Amino acid sequence: MNEFIEQFLIEARELVEQGTVELLAAEERPRDTAAIDGAFRAFHTLKGSAGIIDFAAMASALHVAEDALSDVRSGTQPITAELISHCLSCLDQVTQWLDVIEQTGEPPADAHLAAEAVVALFAQAAAPPEVATPVEAASILDAWLETFSAAHPDLLAAGRTALLYRPDEDSFFRGEDPLARFRDLPGLLALDLIPRGAPVPLAEIDPFSCRLSILAVSSEPASVLAPSFSGLSGQVDWRALGAPAAIAAAPSAQLLEEQIALLRGAQDEGFFGRKAAAVRAAVNVLRAEGRDAEARKLDALNESRADVSPLIDALRRATSTALEHATEEPAASEPAAPDIAARSLRVDVERIDALVRLTGEFTVLKHAIGHAVATAERGDTQSLGPLLKAQYGVLDRLVSDLQHAVLNIRVLPLRHVFQRFPRLVRDMSEKLGKPMRLVIEGEETEADKTIVEALFEPLLHILRNAADHGIEPAQDRAAVGKPGTGVVILRARRDGDRLAIDIEDDGRGIDTARLRSVAVERGVASAAAIAALTEDDAIDLIFAPGFSTRSEVTGFSGRGVGMDAVRTAVERLGGSVKLESRPGHGSIVRMTLPFTIMRTDVMTVEAGGQVLGIPLDTVVETVRVPRAALSKIGAAQAFTWRNRTVPLLNLSSAMDLSTASPSSSDALVVIVVLAGQYSGLEVERLGERLAVMLRPMEGLLAGLPCAGTTLLGDGRILIVLDLHELQL
Amino acid sequence: MTVRLDADGIIHLDAVCGIEDAEALLRHLLAVPAPRVDWRSCTQAHTAVIQLLLVARPCMDGPPKDSFLARHVAPLLGTAASG
Repeated sequence: MNEFIEQFLIEARELVEQGTVELLAAEERPRDTAAIDGAFRAFHTLKGSAGIIDFAAMASALHVAEDALSDVRSGTQPITAELISHCLSCLDQVTQWLDVIEQTGEPPADAHLAAEAVVALFAQAAAPPEVATPVEAASILDAWLETFSAAHPDLLAAGRTALLYRPDEDSFFRGEDPLARFRDLPGLLALDLIPRGAPVPLAEIDPFSCRLSILAVSSEPASVLAPSFSGLSGQVDWRALGAPAAIAAAPSAQLLEEQIALLRGAQDEGFFGRKAAAVRAAVNVLRAEGRDAEARKLDALNESRADVSPLIDALRRATSTALEHATEEPAASEPAAPDIAARSLRVDVERIDALVRLTGEFTVLKHAIGHAVATAERGDTQSLGPLLKAQYGVLDRLVSDLQHAVLNIRVLPLRHVFQRFPRLVRDMSEKLGKPMRLVIEGEETEADKTIVEALFEPLLHILRNAADHGIEPAQDRAAVGKPGTGVVILRARRDGDRLAIDIEDDGRGIDTARLRSVAVERGVASAAAIAALTEDDAIDLIFAPGFSTRSEVTGFSGRGVGMDAVRTAVERLGGSVKLESRPGHGSIVRMTLPFTIMRTDVMTVEAGGQVLGIPLDTVVETVRVPRAALSKIGAAQAFTWRNRTVPLLNLSSAMDLSTASPSSSDALVVIVVLAGQYSGLEVERLGERLAVMLRPMEGLLAGLPCAGTTLLGDGRILIVLDLHELQL
Repeated sequence: MTVRLDADGIIHLDAVCGIEDAEALLRHLLAVPAPRVDWRSCTQAHTAVIQLLLVARPCMDGPPKDSFLARHVAPLLGTAASG
């Protein structure tokens, strides 16, 4: 793939993301013109970049969406959920194309079909059935159509679209000439002008105020007509004539209908060209639907140079089957979970510059060490020591700067993963028929790229569960006095060197009694053991492997991947997850994760002859406690520190290392704090403070309560403890 | 002047009648008790002009020169295209 295409892909994906975010913002805050502007710009730029790589289908699909957004911007069209959905579908299509381009380096050959489907989608939106039309407009149109059809049945039969255009009263002042738009309206069959409002005597009329309604019938579909009205004030109401319901059901049927209309057209000199084009388009539509047999038949009919009527008949049959197809599979496509792994990383130039500066300093240091080597070779040991010491100091600083700089490059705000969720929640809300809203907090919280990217799957699963099982249907919510729209909150924050993420919903909470009975049913544990569980432990049953309280499989959760998959994924990242529930009020899934899995500041200690690292952020202080001050509580020990009783743990015995007999009269204790709880760790010797790049434990060692290992300067292995795992 | 009231009392619409002609037309329409409008040489008329004609319902001499006006607008003003 050439660099050009690569750049296109990166930018296009960003624009798709930006477009999605702005569209959802616009839906949430319809008065936020900045959001609509932003969405419009994203579509506009995307269209432009599609043009640059000569991908006409993508440009045309984006063009209709851009047009629709432009109407919203100018205030001629309101923002509707439908419009937003169409725009999002358009972006989905673009993403699919981008995936194909990424794999093959080429736009897909059948892209024009998908583009036509997108165009058709917007055409329906431009011709909304009665639902979206204000009653008044609908009745005017209906009444008019009735009189009109009585007077001109022939015109109405040929018409595809009826429209009612009501310009704003001040449209003349805006320099508009509403009637002029009809002059060049494609396929205009009939026109009517009706004065609006109470009749005014000529003497009192304001010649500069537009008080007309314009009605028209055209032989073209609304999609073709709509552009004529872009940028105009006032309101256009559309009515598809013929079978609007059928058109709405199947874009392919609509495409076929259009070909039939072409074939039925006047058989003038250009007819053969049009006929060939119509048949080709119809064949493509059928192929795209996997109906090759019908496509071949149509091709054969065309080859045989038969009269048009058998062709039309064949197309008619195809159209009716297209409709059946559409009803058989009601929009089975589930929004695909977008691939989270960022293919490339956008890095702030400053961060790169920091690396460049460091490289320079390392070069200087290299020369300095060369000088030290020369000194050593001369046998000048006297000055060698201080020289090396100074250089070690510089190197120490440089390495820590380098670690910092490299890790900073890998740091991403959680926005990267969070921003995909509003769209998914919206889709779920639509599909499940439960109104719900996602609130995101702390999306600028940063974490290592590995963590951020790996969070997508578990979070998605939790959100699906919340939407599916947590949030109740609107009528149930109303019955218990909750607001109709369910709220799911996704909240992130830094908690020391850990990342805390909560997913909270205001749904029905967890029914622990039901959890218990299902757990017994599924044989998660013995009935007695499950009955003996505390409420908190019972909630934890939800994380048991293969556990799912619903046998019914919905589109979003309940695919046999339970919450155990979430726990596994989070623990693999070195985190933990638990669930809290308040029956009737909702539940919270709390996750804590390390900020980075790469670098940790540790304090080294010795226990049982082994050097161990304790994460520095958990260390409060180190104290010497006289053994006489240690009190035994059962098998454990405790001591008083700053007016609180702190349990003491002998690190070497906790780690099953050989315990040296306590020699000194004082115990050397490292006081650590974990989740607000203070504990003392008795060690034999205190070491130094180190910043280490950890290698995660792999293979057989993976189960150990260790955050990872690193090598010490003398070649010994330093094991860094994960105190969360150590039973304190 | 694309809108003018001739000595014969007939209001003539010539060539392109824009929004600026609406006021003059209204004045002329009000000036004559039974106005008569000749728009045979009219090639284009602004919505404001048509709107006035719709309300005033003058006797129209046509058809207008422009086919759009002749085909779609003239019938609404009560004059057959041939009239």
